[in-house]
Amino acid sequence: MSAFLVYLITMTGIYGIMSLSLSLQYGQTGLVNLGQVGFFMVGAYVSAIGSTILGWPIALAFVAGVLGGALFGVLMALPIGNLRQDYWAIVTIAAAELVRVIFLNTNLGSPYVGASYGITGIPSPLQGVLGGPYYGYYYLALVAACLLGCYLVVQWVSRSPFGRVLKAIRESDEVAQALGKNVRAARIWTMAIGGAIAGLGGALFSHFLGFIDPTYFMPLETFLVWAMVILGGAGNHLGALAGAIIIQLLYNGTRFIGFGEEYASLGASLRMVLIGVLIILVILYLPRGILPERRRRYGVRDAAGR
Amino acid sequence: MIQILIDSLIRAAELALLGVGLTMVYDVLRFPSFAHVEFGTVGAFIALTISLALPFGPGSSLVIAGIVAMVAVGFLGVATDRAVFSRLRGNSPILLLIASFGVGIVLRFGAQAIWGANAQSYPLPLMRPWLIGDGRLTPSAAAIIVVALVTMLLFHFVLNRTTLGIAMRATADNKDLAEASGIFTERVIRLVWFVGAALAALGGVMLGVATQLHTNMGFEIMLPVFAAVILGGIGNPYGAVLGALVVGFAENIGLAINWGSLASALGLATEDFLFIPVGYKAAIPFTLVIIMLLLRPTGLLGEKRA
Repeated sequence: MSAFLVYLITMTGIYGIMSLSLSLQYGQTGLVNLGQVGFFMVGAYVSAIGSTILGWPIALAFVAGVLGGALFGVLMALPIGNLRQDYWAIVTIAAAELVRVIFLNTNLGSPYVGASYGITGIPSPLQGVLGGPYYGYYYLALVAACLLGCYLVVQWVSRSPFGRVLKAIRESDEVAQALGKNVRAARIWTMAIGGAIAGLGGALFSHFLGFIDPTYFMPLETFLVWAMVILGGAGNHLGALAGAIIIQLLYNGTRFIGFGEEYASLGASLRMVLIGVLIILVILYLPRGILPERRRRYGVRDAAGR
Repeated sequence: MIQILIDSLIRAAELALLGVGLTMVYDVLRFPSFAHVEFGTVGAFIALTISLALPFGPGSSLVIAGIVAMVAVGFLGVATDRAVFSRLRGNSPILLLIASFGVGIVLRFGAQAIWGANAQSYPLPLMRPWLIGDGRLTPSAAAIIVVALVTMLLFHFVLNRTTLGIAMRATADNKDLAEASGIFTERVIRLVWFVGAALAALGGVMLGVATQLHTNMGFEIMLPVFAAVILGGIGNPYGAVLGALVVGFAENIGLAINWGSLASALGLATEDFLFIPVGYKAAIPFTLVIIMLLLRPTGLLGEKRA
């Protein structure tokens, strides 16, 4: 049981990194990225290919995964930098599917590696030194450290002058443009940072499981991450983390409601219906999430000058 | 050559039926509905259940079942609008878009909970195809093309010659002005949902006749449908039909072309025969959309909107 708990907390941490990335893109900047799983997949695959097929050291593979995610974010943002958010939604979801289609149909090196066979034997970092019965705890510590690092980065970006430009773009890109801000460049930068963070999440995911194949990266994952950000409160990074914990608890906790063997697939479907309904209810009745963004007001004073 | 023409027309018929409703909803409510294609999935399965229960021959049962499914899904479309989207009128399109994502998940996994995750098919008898030149046309494929053609002509008539169509176009053009002219726009919006969802259900049935029924069928055709709608100019029903034709032909011609001579002329490859593997077919509409967005984001028939 404790091994499962460690697994669950580790996965929650990885999803927390994903939802921080989306919180920066959507909560802070208003970018409707429905291709979040694409970043995750690029990070996971680049890091896995680097450390298995190319034989890189794991640290280098991680860095490559992060850079891969950032590069994918830039590539995705380039053709749509100036377009409205409804176009973003469609293009990003398509880009993530394109990545999945390519990995699903491309063999990597030998005939039974890549494509639908996936990649096996992805090494875990420092297995030689820390390996043993407590390795799960060490990996959890690594994920926690990465999560904290990502949180600090996202907070720092949001508090910086650049972060205020992002907020202005979210509220109205025309206002930001009128103030002389380069909206397109800011959006591309946001996608690069968000992509790097989600790429790190993907790298942590692949080295945690040791095996990945394209079925781990279905568009459903994007929806789960969105559920986390919406539920937690778009624009509040702490809310994104709270959302990640709640959705993970809901998603994994409902596994234990007994449906029996023959109804396992029914249970899986109903679980997704439940999360879908939850999202709709949050949008209808709690549109700012459980931890709403604290909005600062500038220069608004009452008549007494306070 | 004729085979490519037939295959492309079948694909275009499916895309057009699903795309017209999507573009209508966008035209009136200004958000791309990610739930729309799921009406096709639900409609296809409702038609399956009804056609299995009817005592007539397989062909006529399916015709009746299809009509009943269209009406039922039409009401389902109105119901989702009442339950979710009508409460969000006047909100930012991004919120509506994400809500539609949630509605789509509920519909898809609701269907999966009811009808199961296995592929099924309509109980149609095997029929000898007609030979036209080097192409084979099965009677059911001919029926798909004829049904789509007749539906589009009817739709054109409704849009241009009836009070209802004029009210629809007026509401899409300027909701406030339409309201001021005595058009009850809420009723028009309800009708748009009804017609759009019913057409999607018809598209879903056609998709099921052409291949198989699966709860992922709607999601799998979503990106080509969006590609068709964007290519034609989002919000323009005629554009959606034109876009469906372009995507349908591009997918089939792209796979049929021998790219070998082009690749060797460019020095990229030395093979004499180089075809795009079928697995990469999904990449074709996406590539078209990217090119379109770079060159003319408003689409082929779209006009710039404030």
